Amino acid sequence: MKNIEKNSYRYIPSTQKQQDEMLKEIGVPSFEHLIKTIPARMRLKNDLNIKESISEQELFEKIKEISQKNLDFANYKPLIGAGAYRHYIPEAIRSAVSRSEFYTTYTPYQPELSQGTLQTIFEAQTHLARLTGMDVVMPSIYDGASATAESVLMALRINNNKKVVFSSSLHPHYKDTIKTYTEPQNVKIIETPDNKWLIDIEELKKRIDTNTSCVVIQSPNFFGGIENIELISSIAHENGALAILTVVESLFLGLSKLFNETGLDIVAGETQSFGIDLNFGGPYNGFIASKETYIRQLPGRIAGETVDSEGNRAFVMTLRAREQDIRREKATSNLCSNHTLNLFAINAYLSLLGKKGLYKLSVLNTKGAHYLRKKLIETGKFDGDVYPFFNEFVLKTKDNPEHIREKLFENGFLPPIKLSDFFPALENYLLFAVTEILSKEDLDNIVNILRSKP
Amino acid sequence: MKLIYEKSIEERIGFSIPEDKFDEINLEDCIPEYALSKDKKELPEVSEVDVVRHFTALSKMNYGVDTGFYPLGSCTMKYNPKINEKLANLEGFTFVHPLADIKHVQGSLEIMHELEQLLKEITGMDRFTLTPGAGAHGELVGVLIMRKYFKDYGKPRHKMIVPDSAHGTNPASSAMAGFKVVEVRSNERGTVDIEHLRALMNEDTAGIMLTNPNTVGLFEEEIEEIAKIIHGKGGLLYYDGANLNALLGIVRPGDTGFDIVHLNLHKTFSTPHGGGGPGAGAVGVKKYLTEFLPSPIVCKCDGFYSLEYPKKSIGMVRAFFSNFSVLIKAYAWILSIGKEGLKEVSKVSVINANYILSKLKSYYRPAYDRFCMHECVLTGRDYKEFGIKTLDIAKRLMDYGFHPPTIYFPHFEPYAHETIMVEPTESESKETIDEFINTMIKISKEAKENPELLKSAPHLTPVKRPDEVRATKEPILKFEKK
Repeated sequence: MKNIEKNSYRYIPSTQKQQDEMLKEIGVPSFEHLIKTIPARMRLKNDLNIKESISEQELFEKIKEISQKNLDFANYKPLIGAGAYRHYIPEAIRSAVSRSEFYTTYTPYQPELSQGTLQTIFEAQTHLARLTGMDVVMPSIYDGASATAESVLMALRINNNKKVVFSSSLHPHYKDTIKTYTEPQNVKIIETPDNKWLIDIEELKKRIDTNTSCVVIQSPNFFGGIENIELISSIAHENGALAILTVVESLFLGLSKLFNETGLDIVAGETQSFGIDLNFGGPYNGFIASKETYIRQLPGRIAGETVDSEGNRAFVMTLRAREQDIRREKATSNLCSNHTLNLFAINAYLSLLGKKGLYKLSVLNTKGAHYLRKKLIETGKFDGDVYPFFNEFVLKTKDNPEHIREKLFENGFLPPIKLSDFFPALENYLLFAVTEILSKEDLDNIVNILRSKP
Repeated sequence: MKLIYEKSIEERIGFSIPEDKFDEINLEDCIPEYALSKDKKELPEVSEVDVVRHFTALSKMNYGVDTGFYPLGSCTMKYNPKINEKLANLEGFTFVHPLADIKHVQGSLEIMHELEQLLKEITGMDRFTLTPGAGAHGELVGVLIMRKYFKDYGKPRHKMIVPDSAHGTNPASSAMAGFKVVEVRSNERGTVDIEHLRALMNEDTAGIMLTNPNTVGLFEEEIEEIAKIIHGKGGLLYYDGANLNALLGIVRPGDTGFDIVHLNLHKTFSTPHGGGGPGAGAVGVKKYLTEFLPSPIVCKCDGFYSLEYPKKSIGMVRAFFSNFSVLIKAYAWILSIGKEGLKEVSKVSVINANYILSKLKSYYRPAYDRFCMHECVLTGRDYKEFGIKTLDIAKRLMDYGFHPPTIYFPHFEPYAHETIMVEPTESESKETIDEFINTMIKISKEAKENPELLKSAPHLTPVKRPDEVRATKEPILKFEKK
């Protein structure tokens, strides 16, 4: 006899009695009868080797305990970035995202019951179009790396060329993702080097030719460096290649020149900085924006405005003939689920910060980073190449970089990453990220800690 | 409803930012002219009150699982436990930087490792990657593993078999991995046509992508024969886990011949769908395929967790490691439901689906009149004579407070067209299901007696039927001031 009060049944409303009634109505003597088509020899002989259900209270204690095995990151001030940035998240955003009318819905296949989701997607498309200056936006895919890889596939479809050039200053995970996604396409991947943390333009020219499909750059790049996009786009275009930019620290969009003025064909990006928690690497949100010409090559879900049968404004998923559920193997991508829930956060974040706030915040990030770099150089303990950067920069340490990292950690700072983690040849280089989380006092404190003798 | 841009008032602000104390630093000295915008970007200017009310209003125009019955077939719209949201939002998890020192992220790695052990036991696979962001992302990983496996073997293969009943993502993923898609027919019983499969399978074919139970809600009872045919020619079997909710604790894909499995944690394992995502698509493989898994995977040595980079890995498919907060929710759900609960989930979802089938089959002729697993596929084909499309039936359901089932999928001739695919999941009570059944019967009557009522439905939703043709022909994809 089954224990009808088992904890596991709290999410299963049907009682044993109701199940029996339903079986009777179906006209079978038992559940077993319904699954007769599954041959006995295929069935599990024993119970799964999994523990019995636990109560909500026990669950909470258990998971909380596991969370405490992590460092209490919330109490450390971050100097670590490299593709994931801690910014302050206004509480109003959490209140928007946590509404269950948003998070318990499916992809908006039925527009009449999904206007909240669809309007959010549409508003996010507008925000991202205005921030980038690009014509059309597909606002949500898994993350910036997969968005960048899908952008490369898009370029390959557009011009059928078989060479992809990307910069050495692209985030290493993004490079790896591009390689994985393009491996079946028989393309040649060429990495073009940087010089003092920016793309070496002369070296780039040597690597582009008329067989090049696209040039992929990141700006601010992995080292924080701000590339001359206009110059790079024109070099790509002279050879008939497409110019693709990826923006990983999206806060840069608060002050960056509109990309349509710099000749870019496709802009991919990661919008974690717009109100999304670090969460040990995900879920974040990627987007792809492009010139209008390439609209039918975009992968993923796009919302469009139309009218309903009474002439009122309504939103729908549109240009659906690109998608896998309609076109199967001829679709632009296999994308089905995306990260729409994060668009609610992004939409709320960009609406709250708005025209002035996003600008001010991006300026504050720039100034904080430049201030720290200047002060660290003044300590005489670091060397640094002069190059334009946003809120991340590279310094070479004269001391053992591990000692510097330890000292920072002991004083409540999450230390910057060592570049040698990704580029073994680059010993003694640290990549500092500075966001608004670090006040001027924090930055002065960091300088004092590193100035003092061990 | 007005867009946030239409609520914008010049000079209004919704932000608060720490004071800029860096007087000695000039922006123009920091950012080169070639990169700096002359003007501020035209984002809205609204207050916090405006934003909060805007989102509250938007939320009221949505229908979610917390609103009511959401029987989307193949989507497993089950209840998303509230405690799991709280757990995923614990500060101990949300602030964790993905590139922090490994000794500082042991808690997060423990969640990943422990979840992997549970998924291995549930599916009968040997190793999992938790990297993929969704089911389709998992499919891409799976077929790339197949591609690399044959390449590594020195005999690349170029074709992939996909049933006509498969999800659109299967052929699309195969194409992304460079395979030519070959379609195998369904037979009159709704399962794979074995003789057709035998004829299609050869030594240039990597294998088959199969959903089991398949998309007409039927168990592929000849799975052993399918495995024999595919393995016999050196091929691999890929399991699309979209429908695993029917089999928990009853059958394990790993025991029925599958070599690669993807699971949609946002379906079977209760994590929310989020209006389209984020979900998570764990991929499990048999031992001989582990070295091809995407980097990195979590391993445990001497009680310490670390990240491992498989030797022949297909590479990375995203930045960092996983949709981590989704993994917490799936892990919490399995712990909450326990081993006896897992079995109960499948049992109740199968009973619920068959109950609906038995009550509605005389009104909506099913694609196949057999007992189903966790979902039943009805059709609206008998209403054509009244000028009613299946779409009209779906739209009318909204007026009665239900989210419609999946419609027009699966679609394959001659058995499955005008389909209405109902997946009740284990989360629905008999009372809710009865109400749904009664409503469907009522709509059947309306279709015959008052078809206009259906054709003009829905009548009670925030918007009426949108003009989708216009949306495609004259795309408006962003707001522009008139």
